[in-house]
This record gives sequence, structure tokens and C-alpha cells, in this order.
Amino acid sequence: MKFNTDEIASVLREEIDRYQSGIDVREVGQVLEVGDGIARVWGLSGVMAGEMVEFPGGVTGLAFNLEENSVGVIILGDYLKVNEGDEVRSTGKLLSVPVGDAVIGRVLDPLGNPLDGKGPIATDLERPVETLAPGVADRQPVREPLQTGIKAIDAMTPIGRGQRELIIGDRKTGKTAIGIDAIINQKHSGVKCFYVAVGQKDSSVAVAIDVLRKHGAMDYTTVIVAGASVAAPLQYIAPYSGTAMAEHFMYNGEHALIVYDDLSKQATAYRQLSLLMRRPPGREAYPGDVFYAHSRLLERSAKLSDEHGGGSLTSLPIIETLEGEVSAYIPTNVISITDGQIYLQPDLFFAGQRPAMNVGISVSRVGGAAQTKAMKKVSGGLRLDLASFRELEAFAQLGTDLDAATQSRLDRGYCMVELLKQGQYQPLDIVDQVLSIYAGTRGHLDDVKRDEVAAWEAGFLTFVRDQTPEVRSRLEETKALDDETERLIEAAIAEYKRQIQGSKKPEPTLAGTT
Amino acid sequence: MTTEDPKRSSSLDAPRDIGAARLAKVYAQAIVDAADRHQCQAEVLEEFTQIVEDVLPRVDNIASVFESPRISTSDKSALVRDTFSEKVLPITLNALLVLADHGRLGLLPELVVALRRELDRQAGKREAVLTTAHPITPDEQTAILKSVEGSLGESLTAHFSVNPDLLGGLVVRIEDTVYDHSVSTSLVSLADRLKQRSINEIQHRRDRLGST
Repeated sequence: MKFNTDEIASVLREEIDRYQSGIDVREVGQVLEVGDGIARVWGLSGVMAGEMVEFPGGVTGLAFNLEENSVGVIILGDYLKVNEGDEVRSTGKLLSVPVGDAVIGRVLDPLGNPLDGKGPIATDLERPVETLAPGVADRQPVREPLQTGIKAIDAMTPIGRGQRELIIGDRKTGKTAIGIDAIINQKHSGVKCFYVAVGQKDSSVAVAIDVLRKHGAMDYTTVIVAGASVAAPLQYIAPYSGTAMAEHFMYNGEHALIVYDDLSKQATAYRQLSLLMRRPPGREAYPGDVFYAHSRLLERSAKLSDEHGGGSLTSLPIIETLEGEVSAYIPTNVISITDGQIYLQPDLFFAGQRPAMNVGISVSRVGGAAQTKAMKKVSGGLRLDLASFRELEAFAQLGTDLDAATQSRLDRGYCMVELLKQGQYQPLDIVDQVLSIYAGTRGHLDDVKRDEVAAWEAGFLTFVRDQTPEVRSRLEETKALDDETERLIEAAIAEYKRQIQGSKKPEPTLAGTT
Repeated sequence: MTTEDPKRSSSLDAPRDIGAARLAKVYAQAIVDAADRHQCQAEVLEEFTQIVEDVLPRVDNIASVFESPRISTSDKSALVRDTFSEKVLPITLNALLVLADHGRLGLLPELVVALRRELDRQAGKREAVLTTAHPITPDEQTAILKSVEGSLGESLTAHFSVNPDLLGGLVVRIEDTVYDHSVSTSLVSLADRLKQRSINEIQHRRDRLGST
């Protein structure tokens, strides 16, 4: 946008006319020592905990520790610009970030400054980074589903709008992929997405942003980046500022999804800050309130009551474990805070089962309330069946002869495991998921070879889309699996089987076959 | 009112050592209370000020003597007694001996600042630093101080300083609060407001374009 000179002059003139030389009153202190992203300040006797303070040169800080004689300030920005003896001024404001539609589609730092070179965030809407979570009376139970587009998750550990579902696993087990897939799948759902990258390599974040852009997900997604190279204070506040941006939509009756990738890095950053601030270390050297740091963050995800607009904020925190150690301090904390967890295992990942979800210990405490009726009906018992299949499988490896019933249960299990495999960035529509899982759980895939399951599934979904659209439209409409719909699906499966038997090989496929 | 004296640092500056300042405050409160009973607070402050500013600088290595653990507290007490008995008020001497017994003679410089602040606090006086862009005459200083005291409704112990970066106007700092009426700060806030206005303008136009 271009301004003409007259316009600028008029703005200036008006400003000068209205100019009143007011006295600027501020409270100040003096930097005693500075380093490692924190400063110790003398003075600032009236500063509040969590208040924003300003160093010369526009660097902001956050009053973190209020002590008898000094104030511990965490520096949000370049601490090398702050010198001993500098004047620090309090602002009387809590740390706030820009919110609203202006942040959508942008890549921001935790203070809301753009990192994508697309110009300033033009909005005057702000929200404090730290706010209280909505109270009990302001909430309602989680019951609307939030589809991740991943069969294994939507069928067995369904996520509802307003739920906190932890994604936990070792490095390189596909944790981020689940978060990204969930974001990509919100394309037509109207859910605003926020991806908070904490302590990650900037190259990985660039890849994630690129994937989101390629799949058209940046149209409704904001990425908040506090990479591994930025100072610990920024890594510490990144999840809170991302939540503030997402909450804006929740409180306006809309739906939002936020992925914290990952909270173990945030805990590490917080540990660093706390140790530098000389707060006493506790277990694994984390400060005593690291639980509170995560609980107050995740409590802000909620499904608001209808009087408050009925908006929701769903969060998918990610925790990285070391060697599958879920009983470490931070994993147990976050497991106890969240409403369930998706546990990813490296051995499953390397065995080709992707997403590498361990069905036995992955749970969703919201459960079936957050599933459509159709999905609830087809997937009921799937989790337990798969868990018992894993047991049987271990037994079968001993090489004993199996009776026919056991063998058929094993075959069904292998077939379901195949069916639940899904390629990266290929989220499936909920109707397609219902159709696939229906075919699997009702035994229609028992006679399909294991390595042909994926092709069969893709062909079947294409077949239904092209040749029996009434099945899809009926499922989309009713979202339930009544007798008539079941009859239609059975007929479609029979017809599809007849067609592929007629041809020598399965039809060319449209959907992913990996 | 005091004019700027390079030797006497303002108590508004950060102390070199926060721990020492904190300890000195405790001793200062005790000494002021003790002196209050004998109605000699001002004299005690004056004597401590003289000891720190006039006597100690003339003795070589006195700080090392006070801080050295190799000199026993009884030797330090004897030194204090020999030097100051009969020359200062008994309260001052006792205070010095208590400091010597506790091994805190090194705190003396911080103690003077703390004593001054404690007495000011009791008298309801607050310390202020008034900064101008150009040096001003004592008459102007008196006038400015009077007007500042009048508008704040309290009496101040004032120090004056000069900072050409202000360009003009006056900055008054009272303890941790700064009343800034300088030209430079006004210019910065004007720039901020102009920037904010431009942002609002852009946003307004975008919204208008978006809605049509």
C-alpha cells in the first residue's frame, strides 16, 4: 500500500495538533549482571511477577524472580545488547502477542514478530501470553470429534475437540508426522491450526512448513518457531504464546488445534532458566514447578460451554522419550495431565507399521464420546482385538501347531495391522476410514493376501467413490451405520470383489498405496 | 538540598554488592534506633560519614585490614578502640565495636549509604535525582526543586545531574520511579504513535477492502 505525501503530512499535522506533552512516568531499575539470557536487576521495586520490562534498544524481558533486593529478569531477545548498568523500565503490562486472523498463515517468533518476511502483523488485537484456563463452569464435556485423518487414531484413540492427547515416543518414530497429518486433515473442517516448534532444528521446521504449504494447510495454520538456536526464555514461552493465539479463536466460538512440538524441549529450556535463576533443582534437576508449567499450559485447552460460544481448543503435545523410558519425570507428568496418549514405538516403526502406534498402551480417556456413530460401531472392540492378536502372535512365534480358529484370528489380526498402515501426509476422510475398517473387521479381507491389503483398500475406496456414490453420501449424511447402510456397504464390497476377480489384477488406484 | 558531589554517590545507584547492601541495611536500622534513644541520630550519621569519607581513605590498606581473616576480631576491636575512643560519640564507638566483633568493618561504605537512607526514610524525605540537558544555576535548582516538591507534596533530598542526550526538559527520579518530561522521550513516543497510526490505517484499509 502506498501513501501519498499529502496524506503523511496530514497525519503528521493532526498528530502535532493533538500533541500534548505528557509526563512519562515509569518505574526503573538498573542491570546488575547479565548473561545466558537472564539479567539481575536492582530497583524495579513495584514490578509484578510476569510483568514485561524494557531494556534500552527495545529488548523486552519478563520479571521472573522477585527477590528481596533484586529482580530476576528473563530476556526475550538478544541479551548481548543488554549491558551492566543499563536502565530497565517496567511497562505495567503483561507479555502479550498479536492474535486474530492476521496471524493465520504466518510464521512467527514467540513474541509475535514475523519470521517469514511477509511484512508486519497488521492487527491491534492482543492477548496476554499467560492467562488463566477456563473454569469448570465455563466448560462442557468433549463430544465433537476432531478427525486426524489417521485410521489407527480415529478408530482406536479418538480425539475430541477440546481434548489434550499426548503423542509420545522415541526420536524418529513419527511423532511430528502425526501432528502435521492432523493439521493437514483440518483443511475443510474450519479448525484453525497452530504448530509450535520448540527447540527444534530450523531445518526440520522449514521442512514442516514446506509440507504444510504444499498441502495447502498454511491457509489456516500459524507456525510459532523457537528453534534450537534461540535463547531459552523464548523456547520457554513459545507454547504459551501459541496457546494465546489459539485461545482467541476458542473464545470467539471457533475451533482451534495446537500441536506443541515438543514439550520436553520446553521443559529443558525452563530447567535452564530456573537453574540460572538459582531456583532449587528437584528431580532430574527440573525445578519444582515444572509440573505446573505444563499443567497450566494444557489446562487452557478446553471445550467451552454454549453460553461462552461453544468454541474449543484441542492440543496435541509431543514428548520425546529416551529409549522408551516413559517413567522419566517429564513424560509421567504430561501423561498424567493429558486425556490420553498415543504411544509410538521404534520397533513397530522399523517393522514397517506406520504410524508406529502401540495399540495396547495408547488410550484416549474421552473415548467413544468423540467418535461418529458409524466409526464407533465399526471400530468397537478393534483395540482389544488387536491387543489380543499381539499376544497370540507372540505365542505363535513359538512354532506350535495352531487350531483353525486361532489361525483365523491371527490372520484377521495380520490383516487389520496391514489395514491400519497409512502413508505420511495422506489423511483419509472419515467416511473412507469407516468403509476400510468395516471391510476389515467384518472379515471381507480375510481372503486377501497380506501384501495386497493396501492395494485392495485403495481400489475399494476408489470403487465406492466412482461406482456406488450413494454409500458415501448416505454415510456422510447420517454419520451412522444403520441396517440399510450396512446392506449397501455389503453390496458394494461384493460387487467390488466380483469385479477384481474378473480382472487379473486390481484396478489402477487413485489413493495412496504405500 | 545537595548539589552534585562527585565523592558522594547517590543511593539511587545500584550497590556494588547486593548482599552487602542488605546487611548494611540491617545494621543501619539498629544503629539509627540506638542513636534515637540518645537523640543523636544526625551526629552519628555525620561521624560515620567523616570516618568513611575523610579518615579511611587516608589509611593505606585499611580495607584489607578490615577484611583479612588473619587479623583476629579482638585485634580489630583493639584497633578501633585505640583509634576512635574519646574522639567519637559512645554510640558510634559501640557501633564500630559491634561491627568489628561481627567481622563486618568492611561494610562501612555501604553502612553510610544505608544510614542516610534510613534517616531520610524516618524523616519522610525521599531521595531524588533531577536531570537536565544543560547545567542550571543554584537559583534555578531551588526553584525547580520547590516546584517538584509542591506538585508531589513531599520533601526531597535532591541531587542534580546533567545529561545532554535529553535535548531539553527535566527528568526527575525518585527512588525507582522516573517522571520523564524530556524532549527526547517525547520524540520517541511521538514516533511510536505515528507508527501505530500507520498500522491502524493499513489495517483499516485492508478490512475495508476485504469487506467489499
